[in-house]
Amino acid sequence: MRRILIAVPTFLILFLLHSYLYVPTYEEQTRGNPERLNEYIDASIGDAQILNPILSADSASSAIESKVFEGLIDRDEELNFRGRLATHWEIFEEAYFYINDEAWIPNLGKADAQGIIRLLGDAIRDRKEREDKLSKSLANIEKLEALPARTFEVSKQEKGAGGEAVPVTIRVAAPPRIRMVLKDVDQELFDHLSGLLGREYFSSFDGARFIDILPETFSSKRSAYARELLPATENNPVIVFHLRSNVRFHDGHVFDAEDVRFTYEAIMNPKNLSPRIADYEPIKAVEVLDPLTIRIVYKRLYSPALGTWGMGILPAHLLNSRALREEAKRRGMNPEKFFLRQSELSRKPVGCGPFRFREWKTDQYIVLKRFDDYWEGPPNYKGYTLRIVPDLLTQEMEFYAGTVDQYGVEPHQVERLKNDPTYQSFSGLSFGYTYIGYNMRREPFKDRRVRQALGMAIDVDKIIKYVLYEQGESITGPFVKQTDFYNHAIEPLPYDPEGALKLLAETGWEKGPEGWLEKDGKRLQFTLITNQGNNLRKAILSIAQDSWRKIGIDVRTSVLEWAVFIQERVNKLDFDALILGWSMGIEPDLYQIWHSSQTQPNQLNFVAFRNEEADDLIIKIRQEYDHDRQVQYCHNLHEIIAQEQPYTFLYVRKWTAILDRRIVIKEVDPDGTVRYSRIKPTKTGNYGFYFNKWIKLPEVPRFEVEG
Amino acid sequence: MLAFLGRSLIQKIITLFFVSVISFLIIYLAPGEPSQIDPLNPIFTQEVLERFRKEFHLDKPLHVQYFYFYRDLISGKSVSWKDNRPVLGKIYERFLNSLPLFILGTLITWTLSFPVGIHAAIRRGSFYDRSTTFLAYLLISIPGFFFAYMLIIFVVTQFHVPVIGMETFGISSTGWSWLMDRVWHLLLPSILFGAGGIAVLSRYVRNQMLEVESQDYVRTAKAKGLPADKVHYKHALRNALLPFVTMFGLILPGLIGGSVIIESIFSWPGMGRMAYEAILARDYPVILTVNFISAILVLVGTFISDLLYMVVDPRIRL
Repeated sequence: MRRILIAVPTFLILFLLHSYLYVPTYEEQTRGNPERLNEYIDASIGDAQILNPILSADSASSAIESKVFEGLIDRDEELNFRGRLATHWEIFEEAYFYINDEAWIPNLGKADAQGIIRLLGDAIRDRKEREDKLSKSLANIEKLEALPARTFEVSKQEKGAGGEAVPVTIRVAAPPRIRMVLKDVDQELFDHLSGLLGREYFSSFDGARFIDILPETFSSKRSAYARELLPATENNPVIVFHLRSNVRFHDGHVFDAEDVRFTYEAIMNPKNLSPRIADYEPIKAVEVLDPLTIRIVYKRLYSPALGTWGMGILPAHLLNSRALREEAKRRGMNPEKFFLRQSELSRKPVGCGPFRFREWKTDQYIVLKRFDDYWEGPPNYKGYTLRIVPDLLTQEMEFYAGTVDQYGVEPHQVERLKNDPTYQSFSGLSFGYTYIGYNMRREPFKDRRVRQALGMAIDVDKIIKYVLYEQGESITGPFVKQTDFYNHAIEPLPYDPEGALKLLAETGWEKGPEGWLEKDGKRLQFTLITNQGNNLRKAILSIAQDSWRKIGIDVRTSVLEWAVFIQERVNKLDFDALILGWSMGIEPDLYQIWHSSQTQPNQLNFVAFRNEEADDLIIKIRQEYDHDRQVQYCHNLHEIIAQEQPYTFLYVRKWTAILDRRIVIKEVDPDGTVRYSRIKPTKTGNYGFYFNKWIKLPEVPRFEVEG
Repeated sequence: MLAFLGRSLIQKIITLFFVSVISFLIIYLAPGEPSQIDPLNPIFTQEVLERFRKEFHLDKPLHVQYFYFYRDLISGKSVSWKDNRPVLGKIYERFLNSLPLFILGTLITWTLSFPVGIHAAIRRGSFYDRSTTFLAYLLISIPGFFFAYMLIIFVVTQFHVPVIGMETFGISSTGWSWLMDRVWHLLLPSILFGAGGIAVLSRYVRNQMLEVESQDYVRTAKAKGLPADKVHYKHALRNALLPFVTMFGLILPGLIGGSVIIESIFSWPGMGRMAYEAILARDYPVILTVNFISAILVLVGTFISDLLYMVVDPRIRL
C-alpha cells in the first residue's frame, strides 16, 4: 500500500516531466526554421466572431477580412481614395424638380415645362456675363430636359383604427418634371436656381394637390405622402464604378459587377441583420450596366457614400439564394431559415483579397495562405496567422520568444521598448478621444461660460503626463487629428483655475462662507459619472473631482457598471456630467453625435448640443462631395464646437507597436533587381499599409541612410 | 433503497426546475444586452437594434422567452448569438479541450495529496509536517494568476520552451512526439490546477488520518505488535478514506467549470474562457446552457456521492 502510494505519483510526475524532451525550443521554432521567415504571426486578445465583412463588427474579424476580402476602393497613404477592384469611377448628379405652375417667376410670370426649359437654357447660354454663384451652378449643368407628366399608383399598408393592416392605394398624377444632369455634385443648386425662378418656386410646390388616396379615411396623411412621393426637388448623386477585369475569387471564379450588386443586396436584406445597413440605406438603385460597370444612384446627397465601397465584396456564386438553398439541403437544415449568417462561408470565407483562408481553430488561431492569383501580384509572405492570446503578458512573452511578430506596447512600457535597438517601433494617434460631457438640459451647464470654466480648471497636460505616461495628445474638437478636417488653428483651453473662477463669477457663482461656490444660496453641486472597468476614466474621475473641488465646486462621483451606465443614465439622459470616449472614422460625418435632431433618449447627442449654425454645417458636410469645401465646413464646425464647449475635450491616446527589426519591405523591379527598404508608416500612422510587400530576413538588414 | 432513489430523483428534478427559472431570471433581468446590440455603436441605428431584439425574441414577455429558450435547448437547436453556431456543439468542443486539463489536474491532486497528507499525519509535529503545512498555506494564499506568471517566466527564461496554448504553435510532428508535446503543454496549467487542490486535500487527509490514528483499535493494533506500516496503511488508512469516497461525486461539476484565469493566461481554449466571454457578450444561450449543464452535474454528483456513501458505510442504509 505504502509503496503504491509513493510509486504512482512519482511515476506520474516523471512521465509528465519527460515530455519536456519532445518539445521544440523557441530557438528551433524561429531561428532554426527557415520557413518561419515566410510567415507573419499576429496576436489578438479576442477571437473573431464571424468572417463575413457585411456581418461582423469586431476588430479580430476585420483584421482577417481585410486580408481575405477586397473592396472596390480604399484609402492610400494620403487618405485619398484609391481604386482596388474598381479601376476608376465617376461621380456626378442627376437633379429633378417638379414644374410649379402656380408660382410666379420674376420677369416671366407663370410658366410650363417648355417655358422653364427655355428660361434655364437661355440663362446657361448667357451666364458668362456674370461671375456669381448662380452662374457657377448653371455652368455645372450638362444636360437639361423636360419629363412629361405621368400618373402612377402606389400601394401601402397602413394601420387601421383597430391596429389591423389596411391596404391603401395612392394615385399620383405627377406634373411634368425637369431633369438636369450635373457634372459635379452641387448641394446648393436649387438654392441658386431660386435666384432665377423666384424665391418661393420650390418651397411653394404643393404635391398634395396631385394625390388621390383610397380609402378616403387616410386623407389626413395626404401631405406626408406628398412629401414622400412628390418631393419638389430631388438630388440624386450617381457613382459609376469601372471594375478591374480578370480578377478572381480564391476559388477561381471571375469577379464581376454582379458580385457588387449581390453584396449590396445582402447588406440590405433584413433577414441578414447586417449592422452596416444604415450606410447603404441612402442608395436608390444599383444597376449593372455591363459585367465591368456598375452604377449606383443615391436618393439624396450623402458624401460618406463613396467610402462605404471599401466594403469587402462577397462572392455571389457561393452565397446567393440558390447556393444557400443547396447548402441548407446538403447540411440537412431548413432552407426557409437558412441565411448568410448560417452559411459555412462565414467560418470559411472566400474573397478576392491577397490571402486565402486556410484554417480557423476557435480561440486558438486563424491561418491564411497567400493567394497566388492576387490581381496586384501575390504578397511576399506565404502565410498570415492570427493567434488568439487573451493575456497581454503572455503575448509579450511570445513576442520576445519570436512566435509572434508584433506587440502592441502598453503605455508604461513605451519608454523602455521604444528605443530598444532589437526592435523597430511605430506609433501614432488613435482614432478616438476621451471627453467630459455636460448635460446641457440641466443647470448650471446651460451657460457656456460655466462649461468653459470647468474645462479650464482641469490640467489636461498633467493627465497625459501622469495617467497616460505621456502616451496621448490633447484634442480640441471632434475630428480625427491626423486628417485635414481637424482645425489645428484652435488652441486648447488653457489650464487656468483663476480664470475659471472669474468666468464663474461672471455667471453669478461666488465663493460662500464655507468656501464653496454659491449662487442665490445654492451650492454649485453636481455628480460626475463614468463606467466601471476603465481605469483611465476612473483616474480622470478623481482628478476632475479634485481639480473642481479646489475651485470650490462640490462634485460627487459615481462609477457604474457599463450596462447600467448606458441604459439607465446615458440613454435616459439622466446625468449631470460624464466621462466617456468616442471612436471615430475618417469620414467627418457628425450627424448622429452633434445634430440637434439627435437629442432624444437613446440617441447619441445625449449632452443636448443644439446650435443652428452647427446643424447647418453638419448637414452641409455630409452633403458636400468636394474635399476642399468639406474641409472648410469642418474647420468652421470645429470652431463652433470648441467655442461652445459642450464637452471638455481631453485627449487622444497614442499607440505604439514594436516589430522585429528583420521585417522589411521587399520590392522587385521589372528588371529583376531586388530592393529592400525600411517599413514606413502612412499619414495616420498605419505601418501595415504595405503589408503585402513585407518579408522577414534572416539577418537584421543595414540600410544606407539610417534615420 | 429504491424508495430512496425515487425520492431523491424527484427532489432533484424539482430543484433543477427552480435552478432553471432562477438562473434564467438572473441573466435576463441583469442590466445589459447582447453585445450585438451595443447602444453606443453609431453603426447601429434604432431600427437595426429593434430588428435584432426581435430576432432574439427579446421583445417577447419573459415567460415566453423562457419557454423558447428551454424548448430550443432540449431539442438541441439553440444557437449562440455571437457566431450562430449550435450551443451544444460549441460546448462539446470546449469540453474536449478542458477534459485533459481536468483529468490530469485531478490526478495530480489526488495522487499527491494522499502520500503527503498521510506522511504528515504519521510524523505529526515533525519538521516535515510543519513544512508541508507552511507550503499548503502558501499555495492557498498565492493568487493563481501570480503563481502562473512566475511559473511561465521561470520556464520560458530557463528552458526556452513554449508553454502557451494546447500545443507548440505551428508544430508539424505527428504520433508520439505530438502527443508528448501536448502533455508538456498540459503540465504547467494542470500543476496550477492541482496546486490549490493538493494544498486543501492533503490537509484533509492529514486531519482525517490523525483522527483515526487516535482511535482505540489503532492503539490495539499497535499494542499487539503489528508492524507500523501495516497499522498505518491497513487499519488506519482504510477507515480514514471513507469521507473521501463521497468527495468523488462532487468532483463532477468541475468537468464543466474550467478556470477563467488559468485558461486565459495559458491561451487554453477551454470551457471557463468560453463561459466568461459569453457573459461579457451577454450571449444568453451559451451562459444558460453551461449553467444548466453544471446544475445537472452538481445534482448527479450529489446523487452519486449519496449512493457511494450507502455502499461504503453500512450505517447510512438505516
